[in-house]
Amino acid sequence: MAKRVEVLACTGTGCVAGGSYDVASAIAAEAQKKGLSDEVQVIRTGCQGFCARGPIVIVQPDNIFYCGVEKKDAALLVEEHLLKGRPVKKLLYTPPEGKAPVPALKDIPFFAKQRLVVLRNRGLIDPEKIDDYIAVDGYTALAKALTEMTPEQVLDEVKRSGIRGRGGGGFPAGVKWESARNAGIHRGVEPVVVCNADEGDPGAFMDRSIIECDPHSVVEGMIIGARAIGTKEGFVYIRNEYPIARERLTKALEQAREYGLLGKNILGSGMDFDIKIVQGAGAFVCGESTALMASLEGNVGEPRAKYIHTVEFGYKNRPTNLNNVETWANIPLIINRGAKWFASMGTGDVSENPWNGSSGTKVFSLVGKINNTGLIEVPMGISLREIIFDIGGGIPGGHKFKAVQTGGPSGGCLPESSLDMSVDFDTLTEAGSMMGSGGMIVMDDETCMVDIARYFIEFLTDESCGKCTPCREGLRQSLALLQRVADGKGKPGDIDLLQGLASMMQDCCLCALGTSAANPVLSTIQNFRDEWEAHINERRCPGGVCKELIQFAIDAEKCDGCHACVRPCPGEAITGEVKKLHALDLTKCTKCGACIEVCKRDAIHKVQRSDWRAAA
Amino acid sequence: MKTIKLKINGIETEAEDRTPILTIANRLGIKIPTLCNHPIIEPYGVCRVCTVEVRSGKRVRMVTACNYPAVNGIEVFTDSERVRRDRKLIIELLMSRCGHVPVIEQLAAEYGITEPQFGRGDDDCILCGLCVRVCQDVIGAKVLGFFSRGTTREVSTAYGETSEKCIACGACAYVCPTGAIQIENDEAMVQKELPLGPLTPVSIPFMQAVPHQPVIDRDSCAHFKTGGCKVCEMVCEPKAIDHKQQDRIEEIEVGSVILSTGFKSFDAHKMPQFGYGNYQNVLTGLEFEKMNSASGRTGGKITLADGSEPKSVALIHCVGSRDEHFNRYCSRVCCMYALKFAHLIKEKTNAEVYSFYIDMRCFGKGYEEFYDRLLEEGVRFIRGKAALVTDFPLDDTEVGKLVVRAEDTLLGQVRRVPVDMVVLCTGLEPADGVQEVAHLFHISRSPDGFFLEKHPKLAPVSTATDGVFIAGACQGPKDIPDTVAQASGAAAQVLSMMGRGEIEVEAATCYVEEERCAGCRVCNTLCPMDAISFNEEKKKTSINDVLCKGCGTCAAACPSSAIVPRHFTDIQMLAEIEGALYDVRSTL
Repeated sequence: MAKRVEVLACTGTGCVAGGSYDVASAIAAEAQKKGLSDEVQVIRTGCQGFCARGPIVIVQPDNIFYCGVEKKDAALLVEEHLLKGRPVKKLLYTPPEGKAPVPALKDIPFFAKQRLVVLRNRGLIDPEKIDDYIAVDGYTALAKALTEMTPEQVLDEVKRSGIRGRGGGGFPAGVKWESARNAGIHRGVEPVVVCNADEGDPGAFMDRSIIECDPHSVVEGMIIGARAIGTKEGFVYIRNEYPIARERLTKALEQAREYGLLGKNILGSGMDFDIKIVQGAGAFVCGESTALMASLEGNVGEPRAKYIHTVEFGYKNRPTNLNNVETWANIPLIINRGAKWFASMGTGDVSENPWNGSSGTKVFSLVGKINNTGLIEVPMGISLREIIFDIGGGIPGGHKFKAVQTGGPSGGCLPESSLDMSVDFDTLTEAGSMMGSGGMIVMDDETCMVDIARYFIEFLTDESCGKCTPCREGLRQSLALLQRVADGKGKPGDIDLLQGLASMMQDCCLCALGTSAANPVLSTIQNFRDEWEAHINERRCPGGVCKELIQFAIDAEKCDGCHACVRPCPGEAITGEVKKLHALDLTKCTKCGACIEVCKRDAIHKVQRSDWRAAA
Repeated sequence: MKTIKLKINGIETEAEDRTPILTIANRLGIKIPTLCNHPIIEPYGVCRVCTVEVRSGKRVRMVTACNYPAVNGIEVFTDSERVRRDRKLIIELLMSRCGHVPVIEQLAAEYGITEPQFGRGDDDCILCGLCVRVCQDVIGAKVLGFFSRGTTREVSTAYGETSEKCIACGACAYVCPTGAIQIENDEAMVQKELPLGPLTPVSIPFMQAVPHQPVIDRDSCAHFKTGGCKVCEMVCEPKAIDHKQQDRIEEIEVGSVILSTGFKSFDAHKMPQFGYGNYQNVLTGLEFEKMNSASGRTGGKITLADGSEPKSVALIHCVGSRDEHFNRYCSRVCCMYALKFAHLIKEKTNAEVYSFYIDMRCFGKGYEEFYDRLLEEGVRFIRGKAALVTDFPLDDTEVGKLVVRAEDTLLGQVRRVPVDMVVLCTGLEPADGVQEVAHLFHISRSPDGFFLEKHPKLAPVSTATDGVFIAGACQGPKDIPDTVAQASGAAAQVLSMMGRGEIEVEAATCYVEEERCAGCRVCNTLCPMDAISFNEEKKKTSINDVLCKGCGTCAAACPSSAIVPRHFTDIQMLAEIEGALYDVRSTL
């Protein structure tokens, strides 16, 4: 029986870290205290998406959005809103430039321009209750696929939707399904379906959120896929670092089995299928399909040549269909609402050829120097500008936009001139970046592009499996070179050398980790060459990041001796008497930036060492 | 299988669908450099040095030739500018890791690299994985593996410890292109393994082996240990290797047999006073002979157990021979081989040689002259049997040495001679199993245990049993010239028998009267000439006229009197007795 009021408390990992479990419990306890238990339902939902403002609580049907809710606010909320019907002003969302709060969810810009397909159920259901999922039409697509459609028809629907792999490869899923199915029939070997939940890109949490907020959507997608491809066996390979997601998925599988939706004779259709969860062990390279399958087999996660396709010879030499979490989560809606509906969103015309455009929506994790950090879902074809400024709320602290990085370590950095670019698979790739799995990192004028390139190369050097020479040694030398440039020891030929190495790696590396490792370097050289040249020729870091090239200094005019910076300094580098100009000992300064953060007078600045030396 | 057409460097060719490009290029004589590839191991595609350019329609791909499966219509370029540019960088990257490895330096020279731009590293392993793959997939011992990730990746055994599972087959060192894996020879172990084991699992047993073909030693062959390997089968072009061969027993009917079953060495363990088996540097004659062989373990070098060269060697004659406790006979060959050893030692080392003898038996052609030569080479001959070999020093000169204690009969003194190595000139004895062989062929043995010849002077290669001949050391200790002579003699006798067409047989033989024979078979086991056989169908005994010598044992034993000795029947015997007693018949 639906209750009068639903309090939807976000329990995605971010909000949990902010104490949202306690918030939810406190609200429930308060409601009980006030005798409102019959009228108020507290539901712990998955990630609401607006992670910058957690813990989030949404009250329905009033559509009121609360953010930054703490345990101590529970009493006030219950008293004022639930009992007396008056929304609590101080907990409402107030946009950064505005004065007035925006109470209604639908009015908040962050949510207004999003189009929820994969994340349709976020914030609405308790992911640990299969009944919630079923209440919102969950598993109806499965019923349709099993009882009203043949496997070939299911396959055809997915093909015509034009959905392309959401893990970054952008390969049409329907084509992949068909190849796996055909290989299985042709070879007489049963295929296997796998879900790639390894999500290794730094800053990416789309797949984690999907599994945390709506695990059944993935499960349903996989069962439908198994029907189309013709297999009894499925795996979810989930990375080691996602304990909450893994727990929720495990529960979802157990509940699905209880309800006869997994296991033998699903829904009485005669189809058998079950899913096993396999945990990774902390290797980024295991997100690569052949390495993932090696790990699934119990071997060391190392890639192999892709000349022999995994759709024909994959896991244990069986035809294997591997799709990303987000891809699987789209499937139930494609079946229920049809390929035409899905293809109506996005760019291009994919009715004849899925490569002609990018249909559907994409989930992005919007992070970095942006006001509204969080998880968003937008239709393909939306511009970068809309994402960053309309949804993302622009750059905080009055800083200027510099670049946006998409596609993680395999992607590239796009400058301001690309802001009106359409976000879809092909446009991004042509521009020197790629869609990737959906990580979108926004950078401002205080970001150094050389440092970004160095950061990604360092990440890849550590995560490289080391099997092939160009990746292992190429990354090692690239990192050394990048470190030299960042330290101001770059030489004029270094850019060409880096480009040469990158080009060779694109040609010769064994797997995509290596071949795409060049992208961050090449795109920053292409789009921000002036920064590179500043580092090499002038020993300057325009973004003020590279530690060897910058120095901290206290502005004599602005410092009033408030003494706030002294305590936070880890090197005890600041000394001074209260109310008198403070001094900074450069030999002790580690350039951590803690002092800048606490200084309310804006009296500490980063300066270029080359300027300073010149001045001295 | 489907045949496809493709072009390599402009040359049109055909191949089986999905053949790796490298295989096709090799067939055409087009050279593509490789580092991690080997004919007996599955391709791995990690060094990336074999990268080539492949065009298919408008699409251009850079792929590794070793494992890229060729399909119809592709155009391959193995040496384009792009390929050379990429390869050069890869080689420079390899040099940044292994800058002093010969095979990398060679590649660098081919690609015009004089100043590697990333420097020269000091590692010697290029992580090609050949050793890992040969050990895991081919040999099957699974001792080596890759450990750690990225730039810290390395090849090692489990936990970096010496593995018990390593069968020391040496395959890893064999396939390693850089020499990063070496086989170490444990010199002391080598000495211990000296006697008679094969050098490698597949080898020609010795230089003079007939047939001169390799054989597989089941005990050391990796295939019989792990079920893997069989590399020899893979590389044998005429496909002459079959691991499944088993011993066969064959029955052949022959007219004559030559026994040449040889001898065995006297077991020096029986004389503990010489320390054999106790001291590592006391060897038998045969062991010393093996060490000196150019195809032996040390390649012909004379070394002590620890691998160093001896400074003094003692040769003790008559070990187990001319000895009332063991063999009274002289083994004939020992004096000469002792002299040969003395000569070899003088030739190969600067050691002092002491020869402890009773008599010097140099009977053959050039033998005495050889002895004279040794006197000039400075070999010290001490006439006196050695009593004892000990390592207990009585003074400083004996510390760390083996001391031979002997009576020098010419000096009339007991001497202690400290040496580094002692060679026991062990004598020859009848081979193991002579008793069974003799019994099988119905021949006798002389008191010394060797086979008994028919007549020591006039018939040295025949035996009492017709058709069975003996030759060589099984008849008595002898050296090679004498053995060859005897062998020729025996062969000649056999040939003359075969070539004769008819032979004269004894007149006085026995025969069996079939109606009288009860089939009791008492006589069957009695015949010393092996002339009696039993017909299972007729259940009757019969006698081979050619073999029978007419000794009459069977006739005497037959309870039915069914066997008749010709010319010696009861009636004839009685008549002879009557005739002999004719003159005195009246007095009886």
